[in-house]
Amino acid sequence: MDPLTLAVWAIRLAFLAALYLFLGLVVRALLRDVRAASRDPAGALGRLVVIASASLPAAGSVFPLDAVTTVGRDLGSSVVLDDPFSSARHAVLTFRGRGWYVEDLGSTNGTLVNGVPVAGALPLGFGDELQIGDVRMRLERGIR
Amino acid sequence: MTAAALPGFPRPILRRRELGLLLAAAAALVLGNLSLGLTRTGILTLADPAGLLIYLAALVSVHFALVTAGRRVDEVLLPTVGLLGGIGLLLAERLPQDLVVQQVGPAVLGLASLQLVWLVLALVIAAVVAITVRSDRWLRLYKYTWAASGLGLLALTFVLGSDVNGTRLTLDLGPVSGQPSELLKVILVVFFAAYLAENRVLLADARVHLVGRLTVPPAPYLLPAGLMLALALGIVVIQRDLGAALLFYAVFLCLFYLATGSKVDVALGIGLFLVGFVILALVFPHVRDRVATWLDPWADPLGTGFQTIQALHAFARGGLLGTGLGAGLPTIGGQLPIPAVHTDFPLAALGEELGMAGVLGCYLVVVARGMRIAAAAADDVRALLCAGLALVIGVQAAIIAAGNLKLIPLTGITLPFISYGGSSLLVNGLIVGLLLAFSDRGPVPPGEPRRGRRVRGGA
Repeated sequence: MDPLTLAVWAIRLAFLAALYLFLGLVVRALLRDVRAASRDPAGALGRLVVIASASLPAAGSVFPLDAVTTVGRDLGSSVVLDDPFSSARHAVLTFRGRGWYVEDLGSTNGTLVNGVPVAGALPLGFGDELQIGDVRMRLERGIR
Repeated sequence: MTAAALPGFPRPILRRRELGLLLAAAAALVLGNLSLGLTRTGILTLADPAGLLIYLAALVSVHFALVTAGRRVDEVLLPTVGLLGGIGLLLAERLPQDLVVQQVGPAVLGLASLQLVWLVLALVIAAVVAITVRSDRWLRLYKYTWAASGLGLLALTFVLGSDVNGTRLTLDLGPVSGQPSELLKVILVVFFAAYLAENRVLLADARVHLVGRLTVPPAPYLLPAGLMLALALGIVVIQRDLGAALLFYAVFLCLFYLATGSKVDVALGIGLFLVGFVILALVFPHVRDRVATWLDPWADPLGTGFQTIQALHAFARGGLLGTGLGAGLPTIGGQLPIPAVHTDFPLAALGEELGMAGVLGCYLVVVARGMRIAAAAADDVRALLCAGLALVIGVQAAIIAAGNLKLIPLTGITLPFISYGGSSLLVNGLIVGLLLAFSDRGPVPPGEPRRGRRVRGGA
């Protein structure tokens, strides 16, 4: 076999090897990401992010949500609001099947979704804004 | 808060993973160029040192622009897309340069030079969009405006467009000509994402019975979906563009499934499309011809079946390892064996000379990244938007690859990042830019508080 053919073959195979090496590196990076994400399952269903608040919790706080999450001034609530216009047991967020629903628990001042008062169980989409008293919160997708 | 984090002076964030992957991609491209040069001239030399250098410099500049911008955006997309673009450039360098010739001022640019210009422009668009786009409000708030402008674009193409190869896709506006259906796919994804996110729960939970236990969402909420089906079939009839119709409809069904998780609806959607397509194939001759060519290209081997047969032969010649860059594609009587190889059949050329599925693996990576970005998105609109943008690239690659391999009727759409074509490359640059921008994970979170320090606000 003459050296030119040999060189052509060597470079060709090196090119292919480099292409597949790149693909392998990328797949390794992807797998690492997936593993890092699966290590922390808290808040996989969704998160409640406080966007404006006159009291505690302060704006910017993030609450990972369980399938049933109670909101109110009562210290036993999943999300405790220290807001004078919030009732002790104000509202409950439930994850049913594919999506979130919010229900007002007969609070004094009501619960607003995107500025509209809640009556009964209302579907709550990711990105929707929930207002209780002076606390405004946004439902965000969980980190998976 | 440090001085470096003042607005207007973002703190640069090193992107080591991106740099490492870029180096690996660059090494592959240099080897590819060497391989082409060696096959052509017989001495160890780069086939196109200037073009390669310009392209790699553009990639590295985008990398450092992202580093300087200091946003925590995805680090895998740029190298993957960069490698795809580089392979496209290699292919353009390898094909006869007179396939496309354009006079720009005093210079006459051939295929590779033009491809390089479009690639660099696409990278610039991707970088600018990735760095400047902070919010998707401008996309989601005006979804019906976007949908209307998309339909307007389609109508404009139909009225003012010029026919190329029997399909009316190209719009000439003075000196500028382009294919608006490329931009239309981005606009439609924006509309799908906003519409499906808004009606997600209703589409999934408010069902009416159709036949027995088979349920569908109530009619008013299905109207946009029905319009989508009509649009897809309308594009087949009026624009004679099977590829775009298939792409739009497939992406719509994918997003519908992502939004509602309803397998029944997707199966119904596929069924309706197939029924509509069979009817169209029976009624319209241009659709019937495509299907006939697909079923039996050997019926007319020198006419309509020529392209497909030559592509199959090219794949067969390539085998597992390929013939090597520059060693395949013998010309027949001075003519290229596969007509339109640089736009419609780049995969056949790659299959012949590189003989591999690796290129298609890169598209899988793009889709996988898109899904990751979508899963990390804060709300439904953005999640569907990211998934849709990535799917547009992946589904388009799958459709044209399947067409080249004679798995489905051949459709004249581009192989993203590899095919020659200005509109296609620029819009794909825009898609990558948007995906990068929407993958921003926000500012670096503060580290864990050190142990033994006083807890703030201890009461």
